[in-house]
Amino acid sequence: MTSSSLVILPIIIPLTAAAVAVLLRNHRRAQAAWAFGAMVASFICSSVLLWVVTSSGAPVVFQVGGWPAPAGISLVGDRLSALMAVMCQLVLVGGFLYALGCRDQCAQYPAFYPLFLMLAVGLTGAMLTGDLFNLFVFAELLVFAGAALTAMSDDKFGTEAAYKYFYISFVASIALLLASGSLYVSYGTLNIADLARRIAADPSPPLALPAMALLMIFFMVKGAVMPFHFWQPDFHTAAPTPVHAVLSSVVVKLGIYGFLRMTTLLFVEQAEIIRAVLVVVGAVGVWFGGLGAVGTYDAKRMLAYSTLGQLGFILVAIGWGTPLALAAAIVYAFNHSLLKAAMLMLAGSVASHAPVKTAAFAAITGLGKKLPWAGVLFLLGGMGLAGIPPLNGFIGKLMLFRSGVEAQAYLPLAAIGLAGIVTLVYVIRAFQRIWWAPLPEGVKPKPYGDRLIAPALLIALSLGLGIWAEPLVSLAEATVAWMSRPELYVRAVLGG
Amino acid sequence: MEVFVALTISVLFAIGVFQLLRRNLIRSAIGMAIVSNAINLFLLAAGAYRGEVAAYANQVGQRSDALPQALILTAIVISMGGFAVVLSMLYVLSVRYKTSDSDEVKGLTH
Repeated sequence: MTSSSLVILPIIIPLTAAAVAVLLRNHRRAQAAWAFGAMVASFICSSVLLWVVTSSGAPVVFQVGGWPAPAGISLVGDRLSALMAVMCQLVLVGGFLYALGCRDQCAQYPAFYPLFLMLAVGLTGAMLTGDLFNLFVFAELLVFAGAALTAMSDDKFGTEAAYKYFYISFVASIALLLASGSLYVSYGTLNIADLARRIAADPSPPLALPAMALLMIFFMVKGAVMPFHFWQPDFHTAAPTPVHAVLSSVVVKLGIYGFLRMTTLLFVEQAEIIRAVLVVVGAVGVWFGGLGAVGTYDAKRMLAYSTLGQLGFILVAIGWGTPLALAAAIVYAFNHSLLKAAMLMLAGSVASHAPVKTAAFAAITGLGKKLPWAGVLFLLGGMGLAGIPPLNGFIGKLMLFRSGVEAQAYLPLAAIGLAGIVTLVYVIRAFQRIWWAPLPEGVKPKPYGDRLIAPALLIALSLGLGIWAEPLVSLAEATVAWMSRPELYVRAVLGG
Repeated sequence: MEVFVALTISVLFAIGVFQLLRRNLIRSAIGMAIVSNAINLFLLAAGAYRGEVAAYANQVGQRSDALPQALILTAIVISMGGFAVVLSMLYVLSVRYKTSDSDEVKGLTH
C-alpha cells in the first residue's frame, strides 16, 4: 500500500461496492447502508488524496498494471483533479444521504444503489484519469448509469428523458472517439501528459486542430454548454431527486474540468481560440439559463435551467483565463456544486409532500407553510446562488467580477453582472410561490416527505465556506499556480 | 486499399448520420450502430502512424500498431452495451407511446 495507490481508491471502492451491492439485492436496508458506507469511505480516500497532494505539492500518479506512462494507462491525482474528485464525492455523499431518507419508489429498486455507485465511479474516474481513451470509458460508464437511473425514475417521462440523454451523449462519444483517433494518428499517443508535451512541441499536424474542436464538442455536451444544452432541463427534471441533485451539480462539472485541462495543459498555445469561444457561449448561456429559469413552470426544471446560467459564469471566467479568473472559476464551481445540490434536494423534498408527486409550481404552491425549515434553507441557498453574503456564492461572484475588472473585459462583465440579478428574480419567485402563497382549498399535503438532513448539511457547509472562505480560496489559488506550469504535470506523469 | 477504406468509412458515416437524423426512433438506433462501426474503422485506420501501416494493409514485412485494435475492441464492447440499453429504452417507449415516431414522443414538452 503505497501512496500512489491512493489515487485509485476513490475509483475502486465504489466499483467493488457496486458489485457487492448487487449481491445484496434482496436485503434492501443492508444494501443501502453498504452503499452509503462505501461512498463515505471513498470520499475519505479522495480527501486524503487531496491532503497528500496539497501538503507534498507533487501529484500522485498511479500507473495501472505497472506499465510506465506513455505505454500504459496512468491515473493522475494532481491539485486540480484531486480537488474536483473531492467536490464530486462530497456531493455524491450528500446524494446518497438524501436517497436513504427519500420516499421515491425507485430508491427501493434493487438496482438503484449499484447504479448510483457506478455513476460515482464514472464521474470520479473521468476526473482522475490521465488517458484520453480511459476518459471515454469512464464517460460512457457515467452515461449508462445516469440514463438507467433516469429511466427508472418515478417520473413517467423518465424513459423519454433518458433516451434523449443517451442519444446526445452518443454524439458526444463520437466526438471524443474521433478526437482520440485524430490525436493518435498525429502524435502516436493517448496519454494526456505525453500529448501535452508533443502538441506543445509540434502543433502542425493537420488533424490537431480538428481534434481540439471535437474535444470541445465533447466537453460542451457533457457540461450542457449553450449550443448543446437542450437535453439538460428535460433529462435533469425527470431524474429521481437524489440523482438529479448529483447530475445538475457535479456531473456537468466534467465539462468545466475538461475546459480547465484543455486551456492549461493540452492546448496551451491554442488556448486563445478556446477562450474566445468560451466567453461568448458563457455569456449567452448566463442569459439563456437565467431567462429560461424565470419562465419555467416547475421548481426542479427552474433549477436545471439555473445550472445552465451558473455554468455560464464559470465558462466566462475560464475564458478570461487570468490566474485570478481561473481561481474564481474553481471556487465558483465548488460553491455551485454544494448550493445547487442542496437547492434541488429542497425542491424535491417539498415536491415529495405534494399530493401528486411533481415539482410543478401549480402543485406545490403553498406547501411550504408546513415546512418552515425547508424554507429557511431554500432562502439561504437562493441567496448563495444569487451571490449575496454571507454564503459562499458571494465569494465566488466577488472573485469573478474582480478578475473581470482586472482583465478589462467590461462588455462580458456587464452582460453577466446584469444577469446576476435574474438569478435573484427566479429564486425569490419560487420562494414566494412555495412558502408565502396560501395553500389552495382542498389540497391535503402528505404528512411525511423526504428528510432534510442532506440539504441541511450542504447548506451548512456552504455557509461555513462563505464565512471562512480562506481555505478554499487559497486552495484554488495554489491549484491555479500549479496549473500554470504544465511542464511539471508532464514531468510527474512521464517521469524524468 | 487506402482509398477503398476511406470511401467505406465516409459512406458508413453518411448512412449512419442520415439514419440518426430520421424521425423514426428505430432507424435512429440503427444509425447509432452504423456510426459506431464507422468510428471503429476510423480508429483502425489511425493505426498508420509514422512508418507503420494500418492493420488492413496486409503487406509482408510491415508491422501494424496494435493499440488502435485494442481501442476498437473496447469501443465494440461499449457500443454493444449501449445498443442494448437503447433497445430496451425503445421497447419501453414503444409500449408507452404506441409509436416509433419521435415527434409523437413528447411528454416532456409543454
